[in-house]
Amino acid sequence: MKRRHWFTGAVLLAACLLVWLPLILMTAAAWMPEDELYWRYLSPLGMGRDRVRAALLPSYPSLAAMKELLIGSPGFFAMFWNSCIQVIPVAAGQFLIGAPAAWAFARFRFPGKKQLFGIYVILMILPFQVTQVSGYLVLDRLGVLNTHAAMILPGIWSTLPVFIMTRSFETIPEVLTEAAYLDGAGVWYTFLHIGLPLGYPGIATALMLSFTDGWNALEQPLTYLKDKDLWPISLYLPDIARDKAAVAFAAALITCFLPVLVYLNCQEELEQGVASSGLKQ
Amino acid sequence: MAKLKQEALPWLFLVPSLAGTAVFMGFPFLDAVRRSFQDAMGVRFTGLKNYRAVWNNEAFRLAAGNTARFLALCIPLLMAVSLGLALVITWRRKGAGNLRLVRTTLVLPMVVPAAAMVLIWRILLCPDGILNQALTVVTGRLWETDWAFSGHAFSVLIATYLWKHTGYDMILWLAGLSGIPEELYEAARIDGAGLWQELIYITFPQLGGTAGLVGILSVVNSFRVYREAYLLAGSYPDSSIYLIPHLFAHWFLNLDIQKMTAAAVMMTAVFLLPVAAWKVTGGRRP
Amino acid sequence: MTKTCRTYMAKILIAVLTAGLLGGCQRPPKGEGESPASSERPVSDTAGTGDTPDLKQGKEPAAMGRYRETELELPEGTESQSLICFISGEGGRMELYTAAKGGSEKSSDVFRYRYEEETWKRDEDWAGAGALRDRGLDLMNVVYGQDGNYYLGGVDGDYRYHLLKLEEDGGTEELLEEVFQPGEKKQYGLIPPGFGVTENGSILIHDYWEVYLYDSGGARLLSMTKDFSGSDSDARGFLNGNEFITVNGGNIVRYDLKDGRVTETVDYSEVDDSRESVCLFGDGSGGIYAVNEKGLSHINQGGTVWEILIDGSLNHLGMRSLYLKGFLKGEKEDFYGAFVSEGNRGITVYHYEYDPDMTAVPPLALTVYSLEDQSVVRQAVSQFQSEHPDVRVELRTAVEDGGAVTEEMIQGLNTELLSGKGADVLILDGLPAASYIEKGVLADLSDLVKDLEESGDMMDNFLEGFREEDGSIRQIPARVGFPLVTGRPEAVKAHESLESMTTYQGERPLTEPDNYENLQRKIGWLCYEELFGQEMKVRDRQVLIRYLESVKLIGEANGSQTSFTEAETLERFVTNHVVRNGITGGVVDFDRGVSDSGVEFLEGYSRLSFPAQVRRQNPGSVMAAVGKLYFPSAMAGINQAAADKDMAEEFIRCLLSFEVQKEDFYDGFPVNKKALEHLTESAARDQYSESVGYTDGYRLHADWPTLEERREILAMMENLSVPVVVDETVMKMITEGSRDYFDNKKTVDQAADEILRKLSIYLAE
Repeated sequence: MKRRHWFTGAVLLAACLLVWLPLILMTAAAWMPEDELYWRYLSPLGMGRDRVRAALLPSYPSLAAMKELLIGSPGFFAMFWNSCIQVIPVAAGQFLIGAPAAWAFARFRFPGKKQLFGIYVILMILPFQVTQVSGYLVLDRLGVLNTHAAMILPGIWSTLPVFIMTRSFETIPEVLTEAAYLDGAGVWYTFLHIGLPLGYPGIATALMLSFTDGWNALEQPLTYLKDKDLWPISLYLPDIARDKAAVAFAAALITCFLPVLVYLNCQEELEQGVASSGLKQ
Repeated sequence: MAKLKQEALPWLFLVPSLAGTAVFMGFPFLDAVRRSFQDAMGVRFTGLKNYRAVWNNEAFRLAAGNTARFLALCIPLLMAVSLGLALVITWRRKGAGNLRLVRTTLVLPMVVPAAAMVLIWRILLCPDGILNQALTVVTGRLWETDWAFSGHAFSVLIATYLWKHTGYDMILWLAGLSGIPEELYEAARIDGAGLWQELIYITFPQLGGTAGLVGILSVVNSFRVYREAYLLAGSYPDSSIYLIPHLFAHWFLNLDIQKMTAAAVMMTAVFLLPVAAWKVTGGRRP
Repeated sequence: MTKTCRTYMAKILIAVLTAGLLGGCQRPPKGEGESPASSERPVSDTAGTGDTPDLKQGKEPAAMGRYRETELELPEGTESQSLICFISGEGGRMELYTAAKGGSEKSSDVFRYRYEEETWKRDEDWAGAGALRDRGLDLMNVVYGQDGNYYLGGVDGDYRYHLLKLEEDGGTEELLEEVFQPGEKKQYGLIPPGFGVTENGSILIHDYWEVYLYDSGGARLLSMTKDFSGSDSDARGFLNGNEFITVNGGNIVRYDLKDGRVTETVDYSEVDDSRESVCLFGDGSGGIYAVNEKGLSHINQGGTVWEILIDGSLNHLGMRSLYLKGFLKGEKEDFYGAFVSEGNRGITVYHYEYDPDMTAVPPLALTVYSLEDQSVVRQAVSQFQSEHPDVRVELRTAVEDGGAVTEEMIQGLNTELLSGKGADVLILDGLPAASYIEKGVLADLSDLVKDLEESGDMMDNFLEGFREEDGSIRQIPARVGFPLVTGRPEAVKAHESLESMTTYQGERPLTEPDNYENLQRKIGWLCYEELFGQEMKVRDRQVLIRYLESVKLIGEANGSQTSFTEAETLERFVTNHVVRNGITGGVVDFDRGVSDSGVEFLEGYSRLSFPAQVRRQNPGSVMAAVGKLYFPSAMAGINQAAADKDMAEEFIRCLLSFEVQKEDFYDGFPVNKKALEHLTESAARDQYSESVGYTDGYRLHADWPTLEERREILAMMENLSVPVVVDETVMKMITEGSRDYFDNKKTVDQAADEILRKLSIYLAE
C-alpha cells in the first residue's frame, strides 16, 4: 500500500512538472524586459542563433509588457470584450437548444433517431475548411456577415456539445426517469428536474469545451468578420507574436485567464459522474 | 409510459436544434457535397472527375496515410495516458486529499493559445534549445537536433498533442470513474479480488460508454493538431507529419475547393463505418 | 464550504477584472461599428449642419449633404517654399507663414500670406520678417495671442529658442529669455514645439510631455502634463479663454488655467487614427474639433458623443503623401486645411464647404483588397476618391505595420472569391495569383492594356511580361525595382550566369559575405531564368544540386555562414536578417574592398546614391543591370465577379496614372513612362545626400545621383523584360532544406532529397 502511494505520487508529480515547466517558462517570459527576452530566446524567436538561456524567473522583472498591453493598447480590451460577446451567447444557446435535443436523443425512441444522431456526429467531425465557403454563403444570405451574429449563430448549432450531452444523459439510470413518470411527472418536468440536474456534469463538460474552442477560434472570425473592430482576442496574438515577443507572452497569460477561471468555477461538477451526482440527490 | 410513445414529443425537444443545425451545418455540408461534383468556381458539373483526381493524387495519399498513422498511434496513446492519470487520481483520492492542484494543472494546457505555446515549444526544441542542452549534459556529446523539422517531427507532434489534450480526456474519465457505484468494488473485495481484477472486471467494463465518448472527442481534437503543426513546422513540414489538414489548407489557398470537398466526402465515408459500428455496440445501454 | 468560497473568489476576480477593464482604461467597448455616427446617436447640431453626413446610412438613398473639398489657389513662389504655420490671425483672417532658403547662410527668408477677398496676398511689409532676419532666427511658430498681439518663436544658430512679441510699431520684445536657457551641464535648452498666449498676456509653453504657464514676467505659474504626440512639429492643444485643451493619458482633457485642474475628460478613441496625430481646435463656444486622417469630428462641451462632420477617407485628409499642418474654421461653418508633402514643401490648402445637394455617402462603392498596406495603392485610393466624389473607395488590408500574413487571411479572401464576392480590385502581392488566373477569378485586362500602350504613357516592357499563354493580361504591376550590380567590369560581367558566378576568380570574392539564406535567395533571384522560370527548373535534381553547390562555393569564397554570432555581426558588418530577395546592399562592401562587386536593389533613385558614388570613387568600375530582370510589385488585378468592372478598370488607370505614379514612396520605380521621366529629370531632390559610417572608420557620403546617372538608369529600365516572381513557398523549402548542408551536417544529396521530397508534394497537390 505504501509503495503504491509513493509510486502514484511520483507519476502525478512528473505529469504536473511536464505541464508546469512550459507554462512557467511562458509566465516568466511575460515579465521580462525586451532585451532580456532577446538575450535568452534569440534563437527560438527566429532572430539569430544563440544558446537558449531558459529561466523560470526573470532576472530583471519588468512590468513593461503588461503595461503596454493593459494601458497602451486599447485594441486589446476591445478584443477581449468582443470575445465575451461572441462566446457567452454561444454557451447559453447551446444550453437552451442543445440540451433538449440531447435529452431527446438520449431518452426518447423515435424513427430515424440513429440516422439523425449519426449525421450530428459526422457534422461534428468535419474540418471547418470543408464547409467554410458554403457556411459563408448561408451567413451572407442571412445578412449577418461582419456582425457578432456571424460568430454566434453557427456556434450555437455546433453539434459537438449535443453529442457530449447525449452521452451524459444516457448514463442517467432509467429507473429514475421511470419513477418520475410513475409519480405522474410530465416529460418536461422530468427533463427539467431530473435530466438537467443529473446531467449537469455532462452539460458543463460540453460547454467548457465549446467555451475554450470559441475563445481560441481563428479561422471563423478571419472569414466572417471583415471589420477589425469586431475581432476577438484570439486574433490579437498571431498578429503581434514576432516583433513584440514580451507582449505576446503577456497577452497569452491574460487570454488564458478567463477560461481558467471558468474551469476553476465548475471543476467539481465537471469531474462528477452522472450516476454519483444522482445518488447524492 | 404512454406519454413516451407520443410521437410528436421527441420532435418538440429536437426541432430548435434540428432547424438551426440544418441551416448552419447541414446545408453547408450538402453544398460541399455538391461542390465535390463541380469545378472550382461551381460552374460546371464534372461528375466523378474530382474524386478520381483526389484518389490519384500523391499528396493526398501521403497525407491520408500519415493521418491514419497519426490517429492509430496517438488516440490509443492519449486514451491510455489520460485513463492512467485518472485512475491514479481516483486511487489517491480514496486515500487523502482531493488533489485539486493536480487536476487543475493537467487541464491548463487546453486553454493556452496555440500561438503562445509554439514559442515555448521552440524554446524547448530548437537546435539551441533546452532539450538539446539537457541531452548534451546527459550524454556528454553535442546535440543540435532541430526536433520539429527533423525525422523526429512525428514524435514531437504526438507529444504536443498529448500535452494539450490529456487533461480534458482525464476529466471525462474521472467523471466516468466516479459514476461507478462503490458497492461493486466492495462486493469484489469481499470476494477477494485484487487491484488488477478490480480493474479488469469492474472498472473497464463500466467505462465502456466513456471510452466511446473519449475516443470520438480525441478524433475531433486530432484535426486541431494542425494548428500546432503549422505554427511549429510551417506549411510544408517534414513529410512524416504532412497531414490531411495541411493538404486541405493548401488546396484552399489555391482555390481547389472541388478537390477538398471530394476528399472530405471520401473521408466521411471512411469515418461512417466505425461510427456505425460504435453505434451498434456501445451506443445503446441497457 | 470550500466550494462556496471558491465561487465567491472567482466572482470577485471577475468583478476586479471587469472594473479594471472599464476603469483602468475608460474606454467603452468598441465594436458597435467603426463610426460613432451610428443611427441611435442623439442628433446634436452645434455645427450648424442639422443633417450631418452619416456613414452608416449608406443603404437609405435619402441622406443628403456632405462637405465638398476644393483646392485654394496659392500665390506664386509658394511651390518651392516650406510651410511654417497656418493660423487665424488678426480679424479672423487666415495667414500662411512660409520660408525659403534665402541668400544669407544663417537663416531662411520668411513670408507671410493673408487671405483677403478670396485670394491669397503676400504681405510685403510684414515687420516680423525683418525682425527675424536681424536676429538671425529660423522661424518655428507664429501665434496670434488672445491678447491681440503677434508672437514669434524661432531658433538661432546655436539652437537656442527665442520668443518675441511683435509690438504695434514693428519693434520686438524678447520674452521668457531665462526659460529657454540651457540647464546646467546641458548643451541645449528647451525648444518648445508650440506655445500660446492668453488674454492677460500669460504665456503657455508646450514641451513634449508637459505644458507650462508663465506670466509675462517669466515666473512659472503652473505646469500640466500632456501626451507626447510623437512628432516634433505637432503640438496638440489649444487655448480657449482661460482653458487649455490637450491630450493627456489617451484622452482629451480640459485644464483650467486658474489652478491647473482638469475640469473635463473626453474619450476620443473612436476618432483616433493609427498615426495618432490628431489636431485640435475650438468651435468658439467650448466645443472641440478634432481632425486627423479619419476626418473632422466635433464634440460639444460636456458632450459624450463625437459627431463626424467630414469623412477623411473621402478627400485629401486621408491621403498618405500629405501631412496636415493646420485646420481652421471659416466664417460660415466651413473649414480650411493646410497640408504639406515631404519636407514641409508642396503646400496645398483645401476649403471644405457643406453642400446640401451632395449625397451624404457616395452612391457607388469600390473595394480594393491588399494583404499589406502599400503606399502607392493608398495614394491611388485617395486620388481616385478626390476625382470621383460619387464613389466611396474602401481599401481593405489584411495586416498593418508589418504584421505577419497567415494562411487564414488568404483563406478568408478565397472564401469570398469562391462565393462570387470579394473586393473589386485585388492587389496580388503575396496572393496565389497563378491559381486565381487558372480558376478564372481575374478578369482580362487586355483592353485596358491596349489603351495604355496606345497612349504611350506606359513602359510597355513592364506590361508585356504578364501576357498569359492565351494572350490575355490579368495582372499589372504598379511598381518595379531591379537589381543593379556595381564593381569591377569582369565581376559585373560574371553575374550573367550561375556558372560564371561560381567560377569567378578575381582579386577578391565576387560578392560580400552574408548569411547563407540571403546568399541563396540572392543567387536564386539573380539566376531566375536558369533556376526557376515558368517551368520551375529546380524541380530537376541536377539543377537543384548545381544551385546548392554553387551557393556553397560562392559562400565559402566570401566567408558566408548560416548565421553569425552577435560579435561577428559587429566586427564583420554582416547580418542575420533575411530579406525576400536576399539583396542587402553589397555595394558598400565593394567600396570597402571586401568584394569585387556588390548588388543593390533599386526601388527608386534614392537607392542609386551609393552605387553611383561608389562608381565615381572607384575608377574603372562599372554599373549594370543583371540580365533583363526586374522585380514587379503592387500587382493589380480585377475580380471577375466585380459589380462594376469599368470602375475597377478606372481605378487601375488611376493607379497607373502620372498623378499617382510620380509620388516616390521608396517602394519602387513608376511604371508610367511620364512619371518615370519626371522623376528622372526632376531636380527637386538634388540637395539630398546620404551617408553611412562603420565602426572601423569607413565612411561613405553620397549626393543625390546626377541627371546623367539617372538617365543612365532610365535607359537600363527601358530594356528590362523578364519579371522575376519567385514562388516563396518553394524558396522556403529550398532554404530550410539546405541549411544543414551549408553547415556541413548533410551532404548535398541528402539536402536535395529532402527538398525534392517536399517539392514533389507541393507540385503534386
